[in-house]
This record gives sequence, C-alpha cells and structure tokens, in this order.
Amino acid sequence: MDPRGKLLATIFFVCIIFLANNWLSYSIICLFSLLAVWATKLKPKVFWDGVKPLIGLIFFTSLLQLFFTSGGEVYWKWWIFTCSSYGITNAVYIFIRFTLIILISTVMTVTTMPLEIADAMEWILTPLKIFKVPVDKIALVMSIALRFVPTLFDETFKIMNAQRSRGADFNNGGLIKRAKAIAPLLVPLFINSLQTAVDLSTAMEARGYRGSEGRTRYRVLNWSKYDLYNLGYFVILTVLLLIFRTH
Amino acid sequence: MNSKSKQIRGEELRKLVLLGIIVAIKIILSQFSFGPAMVKVGLGFIGSVMLGYLFGPIWGAVGGGISDLISSAIFGNQGGFFIGFTLTAMAAPLIYGLFFYKKPVEIWRIIVSTILVTIIVNIAMNTLWVSLLYGVDLKVALIQRIPKEAIVPWIQMVVIYFVLQALSRVKIKK
Repeated sequence: MDPRGKLLATIFFVCIIFLANNWLSYSIICLFSLLAVWATKLKPKVFWDGVKPLIGLIFFTSLLQLFFTSGGEVYWKWWIFTCSSYGITNAVYIFIRFTLIILISTVMTVTTMPLEIADAMEWILTPLKIFKVPVDKIALVMSIALRFVPTLFDETFKIMNAQRSRGADFNNGGLIKRAKAIAPLLVPLFINSLQTAVDLSTAMEARGYRGSEGRTRYRVLNWSKYDLYNLGYFVILTVLLLIFRTH
Repeated sequence: MNSKSKQIRGEELRKLVLLGIIVAIKIILSQFSFGPAMVKVGLGFIGSVMLGYLFGPIWGAVGGGISDLISSAIFGNQGGFFIGFTLTAMAAPLIYGLFFYKKPVEIWRIIVSTILVTIIVNIAMNTLWVSLLYGVDLKVALIQRIPKEAIVPWIQMVVIYFVLQALSRVKIKK
C-alpha cells in the first residue's frame, strides 16, 4: 500500500477515536482495528512488543481514572477513592482507547519502511507551502536526519566504548558526576557532526545541488487501488460511529 | 521569477545539513536514559538544548518537529501518532532557543528556561494531549505526571549547564 494512504489513515484513526463514546461505538472501532491488525498477517508478538513498554502507564492511568471519576452507582468508597459504575466503564474505555491507538500506530510503523514514512510526511507537509513554510528545506533536513540516525548510532557506541576503554564511567556516580560524564560523549559526537556537515554540504554542492527548486524526483510514491479501499473503509467506519454514538 | 534568491548554497546549505545531523543526534539521545530505575531521565532534552542553542527558536522548533516525525518513523511513536506531541517537541527547542541562542551561558537562563519548559511543555501541553487523546480526566493525567516533573528538572539543569559549557568550548575552537 502507499505509505501516504497509511499515514493518512493513522492520523484519521486518532481523530475518529474521539467519536466513540458508548459500548456499541467502541465495539465497532475495536472490530475495525482488529481487522486491520489481522490483515497485516503479523505475529501477535510484534504488537505485544509495541504495547509492552507502555503497559504500566496504561494500567496506572486506567486505575487512576477508575478511582477519581465519580457518578453512577457507588460500590466502594474510602477517603478520596471511589469505585463507581461510571468510573469502571470510563477506565475500561480508556484502556481500550490506549491499546487501539498503539495497535494502529504499530501497524503503521511495522508495515512501512522509515524512508517511505518520511516521503509520506513530506507529502503531507506540502500544503504548508501556502503559508510560506520552507517545505523543501524541511524535507532536506528530514532526509539527512533519517539517513544519519543509524550512522550516528554506531558512532555513539564507538565513542562510548572508546571513552570506557580509558576509564570513563557512564552508569555510576552521583548526579553531578553523571552529568559531567555526558560531556566526553557529546563533545566528540558534536565535533564529528560538524565535520560531517561541512563534508556533506561540500559534496552536495560539488554535485550541483543548488536548492530544491527545479529538481526531479527519483523515489516516487504511487497510489494503488488498495489505498482507495482503505480510505473507503474509514469512511464507512466514520459513518457507523456517527450513527451509533450517543449524542 | 526570482529563482536566484531561492537557491540554497554555501553557508545556508551547511547549516541545513548540520541541522539534519543535530536532529539525528537528538533522536539517538532520546533513546538513551540515565538515572535509577525510579526516575529515568531521558537524554532527549539535551538534543532540544542543542537545537535551541545552535539554531535559535525558529529553526530549533522546526528541528524539534522533524525529530519527532523521524523518530516516530524509525522507532514507532510510543503512544500513537498525534500532532500534539509534534507541537510539544517543537515548543521545547523554541523556549531553549529564546534563552540560549547567541546569548552567554548563565545560570539564571538555564534555571528559568528549564522551569518554563517543564511547566509549559511537560506539564501543560503533554497533559493536555494525553487527556485529549485518551479521554483521561485532566486531573488524573496531572496526578500521574507531577511526581516525575518535580524531580527531573533539577537533574536537567545540571546536565544542561555542563552541556552548554562543552558546546560553547567547541564553538569557540571552531
């Protein structure tokens, strides 16, 4: 599928999840997202890995919501904590909402190459040209950043190991000691990037780069019929949610 | 057409490329964290400080926004794609830029800017987004966030002080 279609769908999904506010609309949106998850044909573990780092936060938030929302039938009360029917439904809704948003974002990132996502983001930013936003410069910065994340990652580990080999300690000591320990990591990294920036911009100029105006594209994105299907599903989902939500 | 004025060359191109690389550094740093398990401090804020200090409020904010977009493209956005968190990522370098860009490194600037970032960005904006996105009560989202935000800024100030000193040394040497 076209990454632009997927990116649009993900953003749209976050918008329409606001529409769900009762059991029926939540089950509809659950069904649709589970369909999307199923359609990726990926193992459940991939999605579990997406949810895992946030699971504590999700539970904690739901619990807080459970105890601090009052209304409906009160089952249990102690000091400022109340457990009411309204609180329980609310907590469950929040739990579902968290999980669904993470699931859909995972579908997006797992099924798309970073480069494609960046291209799609650039496409979505183009309307900003009306407001004189330098979209072409932003696109250039984006592709450079994307390209250099892996390289600099290696670089960072190399510098860390090099400094460790001569006694630097990144994981121990008090607050100030640790804050100081970041400098031997950051300064070489920064000097390296200054050098890389000079080299790269010279190389770009030598190859005739004169700004983004009047350039052609090598990587082109193509809309496919699946994107139409996908966006069609979303229209159906929105209509269903609008019908079944309580006003 | 005035195509000549739109051309990027020399100094500006170098700046843009450096911005791209600093954005990459910010993304990498935000994958690291230090501190005891209870209060993990991410290093992403160092990237924000670098962006603000080197490129000023406007380009720093642009860089912050890009860093959020790219890191969500590479690592997946924890907590979902949401434009609000991109705005948050833009606001921090903007504030740091207002305080640090082309200014001498001073203790009060570090303290005031960190407190401002904590209040405006981490407490106000992020809480607002969480409550909007997940339908959590504002009060609930705040309670969950306050303990961490009461501790972390002080650590950040110390780190920022050393980082800025190191950076200004590099800048002078160049």
